[in-house]
Amino acid sequence: MTREEILAKVVEIVRPFAKDKDALETAGLGTNILDDLKVNSARLVDVILEFEDEFDIEVEDEDADSVNTIGDAVDLIEAKLV
Amino acid sequence: MTDPSGLSRRERLALFLQREVSRLASWFWIPASAFTMRYLLGYRIRNASHLRRRFRAMLRESDGPVLICSNHLTMVDSALVAWALGGTWWSVFNFRWVPWNLPETRNFASGGISQLAVWLTKCIPIRRGGRRQDVSTIIRRVQHLLTHGETALIFAEGGRSRTGRVQTDSIAHGMGRIASSVAGCRALCVYLRGDRQSSWSALPVIGDSFYVDIDMFQPTSERSGMRRSRDFARQIADRLVSMEEKYFARRQRSS
Repeated sequence: MTREEILAKVVEIVRPFAKDKDALETAGLGTNILDDLKVNSARLVDVILEFEDEFDIEVEDEDADSVNTIGDAVDLIEAKLV
Repeated sequence: MTDPSGLSRRERLALFLQREVSRLASWFWIPASAFTMRYLLGYRIRNASHLRRRFRAMLRESDGPVLICSNHLTMVDSALVAWALGGTWWSVFNFRWVPWNLPETRNFASGGISQLAVWLTKCIPIRRGGRRQDVSTIIRRVQHLLTHGETALIFAEGGRSRTGRVQTDSIAHGMGRIASSVAGCRALCVYLRGDRQSSWSALPVIGDSFYVDIDMFQPTSERSGMRRSRDFARQIADRLVSMEEKYFARRQRSS
């Protein structure tokens, strides 16, 4: 799976949780999931669990600590898929 | 017991120093806060002596770590819970069972004096919704404290409930993460509510009486990773919801 494909899937997964839908339309690797997309911090866990299901990976709490931006999520998923 | 926190020596030393200074200062701040709640604000804990006997009996059942998980309606809930469970002098003499608190930085630790007060009263300020790395650091401190015989109080919903009821859609994942990562950790669920507390507020009504119920259990999960932490958090939240239902059923019967 290419990085671009992962990015596209990540954006789709985040979509239902994002309160700022406009920011989602221009979301890129540097977009902050909590600050820019206004995802509730309590729901970030659900987002990451959706990554687990979609990409068939397992994420530890410590891994999830590094996820602030869309790019962080893509990096994490990419690393888990190797 | 294995310490899952991985705190540096410097961080461990800082916590040790804070605990010892706080312990010395507790001869002042615990009686002062109890006096304020009891006599200046007129608060009463209903069946306090029975509640405290139950709490101590629960602690005697095992010497393992205890994470106190409470519902959250007012900004002084942590002080009320500590007072309700330990009273004044028992808390001074059993200081390890006075829970560490994680107050919101913006509410309690924004200035110099309040920062000092928070530091002296077993608090570790946290910015809710802040950077995950910062939240993780706080979680590791709590893990360290629990594995070293201390206890901590976490509000199950993170912040005060905006509905006045336990909000299962905003359960703090960190609560489950701590409980699942500390071996043998039991959750002491505390349901606290003032008689005149209809929803959330800054302070309970002056002169209010408080219903307090406690229940201790050890969450379990067959899963791993974040799902295990989430299972733990959900089980604790479900327990609090049951306690809340019991409260309202009892209130309906008596009205």
